Amino acid sequence: MAPDRLFNLGFDLFSGIAILLLVSVGLAVIFGMRGIINLAHGEFIMLGAFACLSGVRSGLNVWVAMLCATFVVGVFGIVLERLLIRRLYGRLFDTMLATWGVSLILVQVVDNHYGSVTEGIVVPVGSFTVGEFSMSTYNVILIAAAGAVTVGTFAILRKTRYGLLARAATQSPTMAEELGVNTSLVNMWTFGLGSALAGAAGALLAPVVGVIPTMGQVFVARSFMTVIVGGPSFIVGTVSASGMLGSVEFLATNRFTPVIGQAMLLTSAVVVLRFMPQGLTGRRGTR
Amino acid sequence: MSLRTKLSGSKATSARGSLGADLSVAGVALAAAAALGNLVEEFTAFEWSLWAIQAILALSLVLIWGYGGIFSFGQAAVYGVGGYTYGFWAINFADNTGETLTAVAAAVAVGAAFAALLGYFMFYGDVTNVYVAIITLATSLVLFAFVNSTSGSQYRIGDAPFGGYNGMTRIPRLTWRLPGGAGHELTRVQFFVVCVAAGLLVAIGIRVFSRRPFGRIAVAMQHNELRTELTGYNVRALKLGLFTAGGAIAAFAGALFAAWGRFISPPVFSLTPAALVVIWVLVGSRSSVAGAFIGVLVVEGLSSWVGGADGSNEPIVLGAILIFIVGLLPGGVTANAASALASLSGRVAGRRTGPSAVADAPAAPSLQPATRLAPDWANGVDPKRPESKSRRSGPQRAESAPERSEPRIAARMVSKRFGGLTAVDGVDLEFPATGVSCLIGPNGAGKSTLFGLLSGQYPVSAGSVLLDGHDLTKWPPYRRARQGVGVKLQVASIYSELPVRENLWLACFAAPHDRAEADHRTEQLLAWLQFTGLAERPAGTLSHGQQQWLEMGMVVATSPRVVLLDEPSAGMTREETRRTGELVAQLGERSSVIVVEHDMEFVRQLGAPVTVLHRGRVFTRGSFEDLSRDERILDIYLGRE
Repeated sequence: MAPDRLFNLGFDLFSGIAILLLVSVGLAVIFGMRGIINLAHGEFIMLGAFACLSGVRSGLNVWVAMLCATFVVGVFGIVLERLLIRRLYGRLFDTMLATWGVSLILVQVVDNHYGSVTEGIVVPVGSFTVGEFSMSTYNVILIAAAGAVTVGTFAILRKTRYGLLARAATQSPTMAEELGVNTSLVNMWTFGLGSALAGAAGALLAPVVGVIPTMGQVFVARSFMTVIVGGPSFIVGTVSASGMLGSVEFLATNRFTPVIGQAMLLTSAVVVLRFMPQGLTGRRGTR
Repeated sequence: MSLRTKLSGSKATSARGSLGADLSVAGVALAAAAALGNLVEEFTAFEWSLWAIQAILALSLVLIWGYGGIFSFGQAAVYGVGGYTYGFWAINFADNTGETLTAVAAAVAVGAAFAALLGYFMFYGDVTNVYVAIITLATSLVLFAFVNSTSGSQYRIGDAPFGGYNGMTRIPRLTWRLPGGAGHELTRVQFFVVCVAAGLLVAIGIRVFSRRPFGRIAVAMQHNELRTELTGYNVRALKLGLFTAGGAIAAFAGALFAAWGRFISPPVFSLTPAALVVIWVLVGSRSSVAGAFIGVLVVEGLSSWVGGADGSNEPIVLGAILIFIVGLLPGGVTANAASALASLSGRVAGRRTGPSAVADAPAAPSLQPATRLAPDWANGVDPKRPESKSRRSGPQRAESAPERSEPRIAARMVSKRFGGLTAVDGVDLEFPATGVSCLIGPNGAGKSTLFGLLSGQYPVSAGSVLLDGHDLTKWPPYRRARQGVGVKLQVASIYSELPVRENLWLACFAAPHDRAEADHRTEQLLAWLQFTGLAERPAGTLSHGQQQWLEMGMVVATSPRVVLLDEPSAGMTREETRRTGELVAQLGERSSVIVVEHDMEFVRQLGAPVTVLHRGRVFTRGSFEDLSRDERILDIYLGRE
């Protein structure tokens, strides 16, 4: 295989993995830290995309619009957490059902407001060529953004005071409370962080995917599979699961069709869970 | 059987209802439906058929979620699979065979197979219930994407194209044919009556199932999976069976749906139908078959009324219902369903007192050591229980106590590593056929982990476990339990929401799988534990000590050859501890009893040989008196080394 072809394939592969990582990391934070199954995660991504779109339409610079979208969805997440989610911690199925309800409503409300067809966003970056292949510069930005978002999240959870308190609240909520941590507030910020990450993913993807109200459906299943396959060490897990599942999807899509790629992603995730029920970073051999 | 047993038995039966009562209710409902169907416009009756079909779909979720505790988003997807299968089969074969009943059968078979395949990977992978929800959701969405992409003419099976986004059209209606006769297509009213009858049949089937031992075990599994497995039930197979049955029912509904509209299209795999099924069941009742019918009628009525003429706002209504239900029921939908379950099972009596009754509960009955503490059968010599009935197939049960030299259970150089931590490190121990042995050691010495390796909760990292010389290292916990390894966990693991009687019954049923005998044994055990007055109370309302005894009773009920007791006296008063010690000694007359304990007074009372574990290794063995003079053991406990 010619080196330029090889480079092109590798570039596409990494773009795919970067997208998977971007859409999963917010979910990983919420699920990993709070054990919340946020079935509206896909709709948070969709909101990020629409917020970015609205920003661009109202004349904002596209990069500024992306930042705003991240912020808007983060705030939306915080409001939702205060109104609904905080009443449901520890009730796994109830959170799942409630966030599912939120997701159904969000899709329909956005659909009623924007309609089901919409134009995309144009980003002022071009393309570059390697050998005979032309590649989008924006994908370079996506890959860099995925890396930056992951490292940033890791740093927030490891290096900041909030991160310390959040991890304390995760490991032993009662003890954290007794030591004077306002776990309720910490939980709010955690949910807000996860939501903002979803919003950022949506905004970053807006130029490369169709911005439609049902776009969340495309991401919700695969991001959940990625997080589950990742396992308990959720940052490391999500990165490795993105790498694995992203490669599977990319190869199958390249060889067959995108639908087969999606099906292969799911199938390989289920097979991995059959043999490693706690995911890639789970303890081996325990039941 | 005592008079008391007979009374309580008949009470339970009448409260739980009987097949006869179910059949008469169903008969009346069917007659009413048939009469109504003939009274109203033909088209109206036909529209109603859809509700009956949807109720069948809802019933499939009631079965697996309400009874088995398996929450699946995928019932609508299996429904779709059933519908497409009916379409393929009927389009290809109906012209030749003159009927479409085989197409319905094919749909049920394919739906069941689909569910079984998915269920195998989920349940035999031991994924948690939440993951089951997500995997079924993801599966639906992948099916949605796949079927949507099948518009090309190469996507066809025989004469039937998938049709991509437009769906599959011109599906034959439900048609039957007598042998030798001509095909008869059902009229719209007939189809309506058939759908109602099918729904009622499925409902009765689920009711019958819930009264059978299988159904009771399923409910127990939902409450405490680990205890169910440790009692000797194959939890994975049970879940797989339920999920497969649920798939068959959903696919059956899907076949009827395809025959009803003569059409099926990809949106059946999308999120809205998946949500609908869950909402029907939530609004009705997760654990009652009538709830499935009520849920469908209420939700469908509400969403067509509020959702706008074109149904475009339906998702908003559905979402609001979901949030409303979850937010309004403070205990959560799950908890409400649990109490509904309890009343459904006709054990209202125990529930009526409720958890608040703990305070004014009668004082703990003293566990008086009777002259013969354990009933005969607990020691495997019950005349009522011929060995031929026993399901034990592996190592032969010893009829008489084997010679002392033969170890009953042995750990051969077993190790267990959790990541970098070696909890048990090459332990080589054996325990005699009868008698009590004690296992002590400071926290983190590996005692509970060693129990986990003996009972099968953890697979070993190295080494092997032998029961009467047979290697059971690779056996799952339920098989070990069936072979006579009983374990009482450190934190009492009982079915807190279920009545005391049901707790014991489930344990009694595990060994012989005989209903009458289990009923008989349960009464014996209740009397033995002096729990007779508490039999209908939820086990969670018992005092701490009583819960420990209940769990021990459940272990004894399985006629174990090896009894593993993890801190049996923890949290007990001195008097309770003393009695527990007597109970342990009695158990040791017939089985090998291994006790993990921190209470040295209790260990002294048992007067049994003691093994000291330290850092995952056997530190030393000896009598309590010898060890109490050993300075090194004090050092270990005080951390002085």
